[in-house]
Amino acid sequence: MVRAALGSLRDATFVEAGSGLRAIEVLGMEPVQMVVLDLNMPDMHGLDVIRFLRSHDRYRDLPVVVLTTRGDESSRQAAIDAGASQYLTKPFAPSALLSSVRELLDARVSRRR
Amino acid sequence: MSTSGQDRPFADGFMDDYFAEADEHMVAVRRSLMTLESALGSTLPPAALEDLFRSFHSLKGISAMVELREAELLAHHMESCLRAARQGSLTLTSTNFEVLVDGVRMLEHVIAARRASTPPPSIDAMAETLEALGRTGNEVRTETPTANNTRTNEPASRSGGARWWRVTFVPSPQLVERGVKVDTVRARLMQLGAVQNVVPKVVPGGGISFEFDVATNDEAQLAQWHDDGLSYEPLDGPAPAAPAGAEPADAAVVERPLTDLTLAGSSNVVRVDLARLDDLMRLVGEMVVTRSRLEDTLQRIEAHVPFQEWRALQDHNGRLERNLRDLREGVMRVRLVPVGEIFRRMPFVVRDLARDNGKRVHLELTGQSTEIDKFLVERMMDPVLHIVRNAISHGIEPPERRIAAGKPADGTIRLAASTAGEAVILEITDDGGGIDIPSVAQRARSFGLVVPDDGGLDSRALLDIICASGFSTRDQADRASGRGVGMAVVRDTVEGLGGTLAVESRPGRGTTFRMTLPLTLAITDAIIAHVGDQIFAVPQTAVREVVEVDASLLSAFERNELMPYRGGTLPMVRLSHVFAMPAAHRARHHAIVVGSGQAALGLIVDRIAGQREVVVKTITDPLIRVDGVSAATELGDGRVVLILDVAALSRTRRQHSRVITGVSA
Repeated sequence: MVRAALGSLRDATFVEAGSGLRAIEVLGMEPVQMVVLDLNMPDMHGLDVIRFLRSHDRYRDLPVVVLTTRGDESSRQAAIDAGASQYLTKPFAPSALLSSVRELLDARVSRRR
Repeated sequence: MSTSGQDRPFADGFMDDYFAEADEHMVAVRRSLMTLESALGSTLPPAALEDLFRSFHSLKGISAMVELREAELLAHHMESCLRAARQGSLTLTSTNFEVLVDGVRMLEHVIAARRASTPPPSIDAMAETLEALGRTGNEVRTETPTANNTRTNEPASRSGGARWWRVTFVPSPQLVERGVKVDTVRARLMQLGAVQNVVPKVVPGGGISFEFDVATNDEAQLAQWHDDGLSYEPLDGPAPAAPAGAEPADAAVVERPLTDLTLAGSSNVVRVDLARLDDLMRLVGEMVVTRSRLEDTLQRIEAHVPFQEWRALQDHNGRLERNLRDLREGVMRVRLVPVGEIFRRMPFVVRDLARDNGKRVHLELTGQSTEIDKFLVERMMDPVLHIVRNAISHGIEPPERRIAAGKPADGTIRLAASTAGEAVILEITDDGGGIDIPSVAQRARSFGLVVPDDGGLDSRALLDIICASGFSTRDQADRASGRGVGMAVVRDTVEGLGGTLAVESRPGRGTTFRMTLPLTLAITDAIIAHVGDQIFAVPQTAVREVVEVDASLLSAFERNELMPYRGGTLPMVRLSHVFAMPAAHRARHHAIVVGSGQAALGLIVDRIAGQREVVVKTITDPLIRVDGVSAATELGDGRVVLILDVAALSRTRRQHSRVITGVSA
């Protein structure tokens, strides 16, 4: 579904990871430019994944969009504190996800210029 | 918070994706449930609990995205139940387990209702029950994630005195290709012993590694995984190492493979709308026709073109033919899906029916990875279901009768798929009592069918009776096996798809139904025959043999002609007669023998013109539909050829004759 929502991103390749550990494994092998992350994952919590990314230079600036079912202010704050770039609460509109991702990708491109 | 109304059309565009993804998750759910059920009462495999939890979690998320609230709610409550079960605050007794199974069934109904655009069933009661079950574990649930990747030095009490190791896993694309990923490594290590921490590390110079702290005595196993990117070293600390020989007694249990791993989930998969593949196949078909036109033209101009030039053209044509054949095979392969799609519903069906019927049934699946055209898979689902239902309600005996007959109390139903050349064979075997022939014969007589007095029925005659419309040995229809229309529909479906159905009954030992189906339908090899100035094609899968017919040996019986054939008689049909064409009177004809058993039939034609690859174009326009013709194709010279519907031809003939004689081959 997430992938379907992002389907209209041209030239994008998607790699799926079913757990936090698997996500990190993929990051080590693929040139990933953007992460869409569910907080509630097996093996390793999404927040821990973000903390891991933010504590290493290589991944410090990697945009991370966080998806979660919890909308309360504290977990939102926890995600932002950990270093999430964007935060979406389920159920979210597919179009909202798409525009968040577009925004972050655009920001990344313009920063590089 | 809620999705705005204007997003509706946007979300609607995702419904197909939603259904496809929901289906995948439901498959995983069923798989996990089966695994858990077999472990009820003992230690539940953590991996299955974990998988189930994740499936519900994902279903909840995607259902929320498409605003399917009922599905979201059910999945949410079941997720809570699984969370509680994982944390140990909820024990999955068989009663609790049944609640989950019912919840899953309700969830299926909700999704199915959305798919059919019908109102969802009422889920209130079920949601309440599930919620109550899930609450059991809620008080221990922590919302704030614990930073579990900071190392604690406390030894896990469940390590049971095993030695601690620091295991390092360095993933690589090569390993991923072999299916060795951090998730699978973690699962392996969890089978081996307690896993305390998993810490990802950034490797200087690039890449990632993972460190696991594992308590196990099985150092030998760790060493064996060296080629899978695992290295290990002992960890200092609390390791009053147990004697190496003292393997934990439950090791054998833990290492038992999960039942159904062969039905691996799909990850590297592109979903394509079947209509697009149909289009592609149609285009390939048109190219096949164009190329055979090219070939005809080449033959014609041979005399008018310098040999060298002609030769070059012919070479190109030959290459084009090979390329086209490869292309056709490639497209066909894309349409193939594992037969497992039919099988994977079965464990649920068998489980429910066995319970309803007070029987104990064990299901064995083999050959799930056998591939078959997607189109066929969808149409074979109901026939296979029907036969499996029959096997449980009629075939498998109640436990006490089985024991009395010296058989194991648990009946076995075996579903097997295999390929044989261009055909796929599906076999459904039970080890029940076999078909009750005297009662079948009696029932057949009461129906007005003629049965030999000794009640001796060969397997083909038997199939004809049980496939006769309205036939049932049960006086009352039960939920499982319908009202006697079932087997007739099964046979019509199989034959309509160009396949054959056979039955073999072993009294006291069980029954086997065998369906032989063509691998694909769009392009097929066919026998080309002439009748008068018409040309017909008969799909080769339906053809048993081609024989020469001596007109003087034909005898008339009722409305048919019969011909001596392999020690019996074979009903013959003149195609010129069927299609009201002027009959050619000649002493010798050819006949194409199609079908088997009571459905066997000889089609009399004037001349056999050979065998060739034809592109099947189904005739759907009701104005030009003719009984006995299923489709049309085009030959290289542009002539249109009708493809005979062998199943319909033999059905028409069967309706004219109610005599059960059986052709003994």
